[in-house]
Amino acid sequence: MNRKKLKKRLKRLYKSEPLRILVGLCFFIPALILEHLGFEAISLGLFIAALLLSGATVFISAFRGILRGDVFDEKLLMSVAAVGAMIIGEAEEGVAVMLFFLVGEWFEHIAVRRSRNSIRSLMDIRPDTATVLADGAESVLDAEDVAVGSVILIRSGERVPIDCAVISGECDLDNSALTGESLPISVKIGDELSSGAVVLGGAVTAKTLRTADSSAAARILDLVENAQERKSRAESFITRFSRVYTPIVFSLALLMAVLPPIFGWLDLTDSLYRALSFLVVSCPCALVISVPMAFFGGIGNAASHGILYKGGNVFAPLSNISEVVFDKTGTLTEGRLIVDKITPADCAPEKLLSLAASAEYASIHPIARALKSAATEIYPAEEITEFSGKGIIARVNGISVAVGNSYLMAQLGFSVPNADGVYVALDGKYAGSIGFADEIKAEAPAALERLRRLGVKRLSMLSGDRRENAERVGAALSLDEINAELLPDGKLSLLEKKIAENRGSVVYVGDGINDAPCLARADVGIAMGSLGADSAIEAADAVIMSDNLSRLPDAVKIARKTERIAKQNIVLAIGIKALVLLLVSLDISGMWMAVFADVGVAVLAILNSFRALIGKRK
Amino acid sequence: MKFRYNITGLDCPNCAAKLAASMEKIDGVESAKINFLTEKLTVESSLDGDTLLPLLEKCASAFEDGIEIE
Repeated sequence: MNRKKLKKRLKRLYKSEPLRILVGLCFFIPALILEHLGFEAISLGLFIAALLLSGATVFISAFRGILRGDVFDEKLLMSVAAVGAMIIGEAEEGVAVMLFFLVGEWFEHIAVRRSRNSIRSLMDIRPDTATVLADGAESVLDAEDVAVGSVILIRSGERVPIDCAVISGECDLDNSALTGESLPISVKIGDELSSGAVVLGGAVTAKTLRTADSSAAARILDLVENAQERKSRAESFITRFSRVYTPIVFSLALLMAVLPPIFGWLDLTDSLYRALSFLVVSCPCALVISVPMAFFGGIGNAASHGILYKGGNVFAPLSNISEVVFDKTGTLTEGRLIVDKITPADCAPEKLLSLAASAEYASIHPIARALKSAATEIYPAEEITEFSGKGIIARVNGISVAVGNSYLMAQLGFSVPNADGVYVALDGKYAGSIGFADEIKAEAPAALERLRRLGVKRLSMLSGDRRENAERVGAALSLDEINAELLPDGKLSLLEKKIAENRGSVVYVGDGINDAPCLARADVGIAMGSLGADSAIEAADAVIMSDNLSRLPDAVKIARKTERIAKQNIVLAIGIKALVLLLVSLDISGMWMAVFADVGVAVLAILNSFRALIGKRK
Repeated sequence: MKFRYNITGLDCPNCAAKLAASMEKIDGVESAKINFLTEKLTVESSLDGDTLLPLLEKCASAFEDGIEIE
């Protein structure tokens, strides 16, 4: 075991660039001095030693590349350039190329490691252990080993390790790692806790509902980690480009080596030198890393805001939106009814509300809930009779209370106008009606205004609800277009029409339960408030974990910034490479510049991508 | 069956793609994907885990020294 460890250590040491650079320099510097003093033979020996010692691993990988039949391997290209430079009598340049390449690789590794670590710390929401209570004893287990239905203890300040339901205790819950919302919510017995949330101000015991692997935090991490698999257009462009780029530059290098001497433009050494520099620039690594690195940063940044992009493919359409289509209920509105308007016929409004709420007390219908939360006083109800699809009749404080729709009223012998809401009859006399409304989300107007400022031309609504409700919400938010009373297939065909009409992309925002077809069909489908709803996550291209609409403009902004950085990286990588190729062929720059165009550009692209990772948290 | 591993010690995304391609040539491996940024290797294979891992490791060490799969 120890021997194995030692071997591992040595291997790692031998891989470490700083050591090889140092060793190389130990020979390279004396060699330079001796060459200057005129000891050519000794200095050549030292140059060769410097190249072999610092470049050993590069040569070995290059050799493996040849065995695999892989001629466009970075290491092979570097080796050929370095050895080639030696052969044409540019020993010093050969060593410099190798050292410079190692320095570049070293920086590249540092930069990649830094980005990886910062993403990991953003995503560090999954605790490794859970405190399990069994037979009155506490034991700390690996979260993965905790069986479903175990009882776990979560103390104040700890992260919820596994999705669970509270069985005792009360606490506040900070869901910000999951939803990006910083306001803690309070939690009572019976409430579900999602893994990754932080318990505050009290300890709770809870029964686990899932295994750690299928809990919220693990699913989110999985989504983010696999996000890279859905390739964007920019990514496939750069992959295709690098596939033709390398062979083209490689052939240019060959022409560079052969043609000028044949036509007598340059002597052989000069043209070989330029050809070798070309070889160095032909390496595709900087290109290949430029785009995914930017997207990786953007995906990580968004995740810390509770916005999950399912792949790099959402960035382009999300940065170029022309229309955003909203579902109404649960998306623009809270999805919860509130009492809007009381129209008494012949009694005090408060009394009407109290009696109606009391009669409905036992019901879980959304209307009953709205009545209960609006009423100031509630009395016990007896002799409750429910008429399915019509309403309820009960005796409250000795009064016979009938609450229901027009069918119930017709049954009782009243004729009432057909409107939204319920009618109330007291002791066989019509007493008035109560209207309801679905409350518009408080942040909706500001969020929509921000979308317009971000350049979205059209905001529209597709709703399954009644026209007047849809129009009320639409007018309050000054939407450009309101479509109501739609069935799911009607929504889909209208959405398809919009996709065909718009030049830019059409985004569909829904709460995900019945919006799956539209989420899947839109250029970008964004599911909201979907912590835990698998079908929505499945169908959508992006998921906003909270139901806060202000995350929507945030999502657009992050996508834009990321897309911009990815494009900058493409221009940077291709631009610098093209420029260096030009400079080299005109003999303005040497081989060291070519190495910069290879590893230096990769480092720059990674550093630039780092910007995508950084974003203000609102 | 899908197998997921952590893979560390890769040099660059280009190398990662090449290693994945050479893993796909192993008999019994249907697909191999390496995500360079998250350092994850996903392999679809008809082999069982105990046979697969040594084969993948062999393939990786033939490719470059110091790649670790777990």
